[in-house]
Amino acid sequence: MKKILLACAGGFSTSMLVERMKESARAKGIEVMIDAVAESDIADQTPFDIIMLGPQMGHAEGDLAAEYPDIPVTTIDMMDYGMMNGDKVLDTAIELMEKGA
Amino acid sequence: MAGSAEWRSKIQKASTKIQKNTYISAISNGLMALMPILILGAIFSLINALKLEPYQNFLESTGLKDYTSIPATVTTDVIALYAVFSIAYNFATQHKQQGFSAGILALMSFLLVTPKGLLDDGATKAFGYSWLGAKGLFVAIILALVVGKIYTFVLEKKFYIKMPKGVPPTVEKSFAALTPGFIVAILMLIFSAIFAATKYGNMHEFVFSIIQLPLTSLGGTWWAMLICIFVIHLLWFFGVHGTLVVYSVVGPIWVALGLENLDAYQRGVEGTHIIGSPFFPVYVLIGGAGATLGLIIAMLFAKSTRYKTLGKLAIVPSLIGVNEPVIFGMPLVLNVRFMIPFIVTPLVSSGLAILLTTIGVLPVLHGIQVPLGIPVLVNGWMNGGWRVSAFQLVMIAASFLIYYPFFKKADAEALEQEQQAEAAAAGKEKGGIPNAQPVS
Repeated sequence: MKKILLACAGGFSTSMLVERMKESARAKGIEVMIDAVAESDIADQTPFDIIMLGPQMGHAEGDLAAEYPDIPVTTIDMMDYGMMNGDKVLDTAIELMEKGA
Repeated sequence: MAGSAEWRSKIQKASTKIQKNTYISAISNGLMALMPILILGAIFSLINALKLEPYQNFLESTGLKDYTSIPATVTTDVIALYAVFSIAYNFATQHKQQGFSAGILALMSFLLVTPKGLLDDGATKAFGYSWLGAKGLFVAIILALVVGKIYTFVLEKKFYIKMPKGVPPTVEKSFAALTPGFIVAILMLIFSAIFAATKYGNMHEFVFSIIQLPLTSLGGTWWAMLICIFVIHLLWFFGVHGTLVVYSVVGPIWVALGLENLDAYQRGVEGTHIIGSPFFPVYVLIGGAGATLGLIIAMLFAKSTRYKTLGKLAIVPSLIGVNEPVIFGMPLVLNVRFMIPFIVTPLVSSGLAILLTTIGVLPVLHGIQVPLGIPVLVNGWMNGGWRVSAFQLVMIAASFLIYYPFFKKADAEALEQEQQAEAAAAGKEKGGIPNAQPVS
């Protein structure tokens, strides 16, 4: 099963979004693991198939992309993040995972 | 706002440099990892020292006091011991070396330079508590980084004696692990000898008076706090987690000040530092960065569906200081309209808090590290009783009043857009051409 990893400063606000994404995945019948962590704990979570950063951690995207060259690393759209649009973020994640890094 | 995206990327790069600097991030992650210990010690301090006479009498008469006083003495009172291990551990793991080995070597170094002596009975060996807590925190930080650096350097450069061929590789490995240990131990002995020859007598006294005292005095001033708050919110305005970036630099200072206050509180006196670690969550982040709780309350009464939905979504996490939904959903990031209230509101609440504490209307905060999940008002009460909670309540109202005029305009615009979108949708059904973006 694919695993989507969301990361922000402490993993708090992303965990709210994770709940929304899980609801959306259930409704759509998609089997996927979704988790939220603090940005500093990303390495403990391997393996995962995509890293999605909260917009406030967007500045870490470059370093992480270099560290994980084989998977997509992206920053979540500000508006989707703020409105906790789990549907849209899940769609983006799936699209990016299909496309690859 | 032309060029703002460019600015944003520049600021993001600078923030990465600060926050990702291995020394700074080892300190901040190392201290962050101590949160459970800090929180535990602080909560037990509160349980032990809460000023309610019947409650204290109860503790005394039942003999519970003998026990409630223990946790603080093995947590916050000796925090430097935890810190030196944790920071060296983080430093080494960042360099892809074994954190545990670096951590125990750093702990050994810390104990090496710490004064030891005999108890009054003349026989029992002892470490004094004086340098193991907040007062020893900067030595802990310095040694953790020095030892972490030596440890990783020795292993990365393979700077150790190679065994002749035929010696089992495991033997060489164990020898390699010993090398940094010996280097560090000898270096610490040299440090001890050097500092013993100065008027300071030991490394702790030296670091405390030359580095820690000046830095904490500086970091504890009202203007340093206000500058930090300004920078944090400016960073947030550009979409960067300002709290994280600034905290990674000034965090150790605030923690040290907070712990000194906590120590005073334990002894039944009021602390002396107006600025300390709880100042930030209690007086600045009322509802999260930008002190947005008042804004979110205003949103609950919004006329537009968009902001009403966002308000409902944001209110509960905001009570515990998590407000990313408003920051990005409003949005407050790169939103010039809200820039003034976003920066001014936290400055007003913290400025007033400093003023009122100075003249004695508000108590100095106890220095209790509040766990995330403890809502506003309660975190204030825990750190200084009802006066602090009452002040927070007034500041929530202030936040509402400061944000309201700005929010009213945004709300009216959103409502107009929604009505246009509705009209367009209705028009489309009749075969018209939609000219407005639907608002989701």
